[in-house]
Amino acid sequence: MIQNFISMNGYGFFVWLSFAITFLACGMLYYKTYKTLKKYEKDFAKELDQLSEAERKLVLEKSKVASQFLASYNKSI
Amino acid sequence: MFDLINPSRIFHWIEKLINFINSIFFILLIIALTFALVLSPPDYLQGDSVRIMYVHVPSAWIGLASFTVIALMSILSFIFKIKNLNLITKSIAPIGLLFTCIAIITGSLWGQPTWGTWWAWDARITSMLILSIFYILFILAHKLIENEDKANKVSNIIAIIGLINIPVIRYSVDWWNTLHQPSSIKLDGTSSIHPSMLLPLMLMLLVLLLYCALILLMKYKTEIIRIKKKNIKRI
Repeated sequence: MIQNFISMNGYGFFVWLSFAITFLACGMLYYKTYKTLKKYEKDFAKELDQLSEAERKLVLEKSKVASQFLASYNKSI
Repeated sequence: MFDLINPSRIFHWIEKLINFINSIFFILLIIALTFALVLSPPDYLQGDSVRIMYVHVPSAWIGLASFTVIALMSILSFIFKIKNLNLITKSIAPIGLLFTCIAIITGSLWGQPTWGTWWAWDARITSMLILSIFYILFILAHKLIENEDKANKVSNIIAIIGLINIPVIRYSVDWWNTLHQPSSIKLDGTSSIHPSMLLPLMLMLLVLLLYCALILLMKYKTEIIRIKKKNIKRI
């Protein structure tokens, strides 16, 4: 039964390769996207950290995204 | 209406949505794969090679839908000059390219045992190849042109020109006598696919759509951070 499932009545090579290519390609795009996002998050947090207290306050006041980012980033680390 | 896609409004929802998709994704994936590879019956003509359709068809649909969305958003961006739309189209493009390539490769893997050839210069297959070229040009425009406004304009033009190819892909099997078979699933209710095969197809579509949403959200978040990072000194 397992052998039948693997061979797919002679179409196993084509079926398994199709699914493998699909999931491998999706996995690679996910990994690349995730890595890039984390890199940008880290760099952005570092840049915010390097600002003086007054500059930082001004940035957080003026940019909703920056303040939301900092809140979620601090939670995630 | 366009305020809904304002980065500062959407930013805090992105994290929640990513977590939600992550929590249900693997359960749905296992269910969909069980139906696609185990529970669905082999086709009376194609045998087990029909299972390739469960990744090929949703991939082709996503590839087509992504480009249609990109092109429509490019038109809106041209008319209303909304920069956020460019961030979204830029985030969708790699997903569309990925699924167009998957559709072409899995189609080729299905073609070999069924038609006896890996490739044919058939209207549907060739128009899908042209779609992938439009995706590549769109992505290259963003990568190679340093001036962001100019890159957006060029990529918008590419997307709008590429829109002509979408009805060609959709109706190629009706307009020309092609090797590729006509659609089995029609929105007017005259579908010729059995429910036992329609269910795994829809489940795989749902799983791949969730994956697309996940990548889109992550890419959109990256784009927002990239722009804010660039503007941090200006603030």
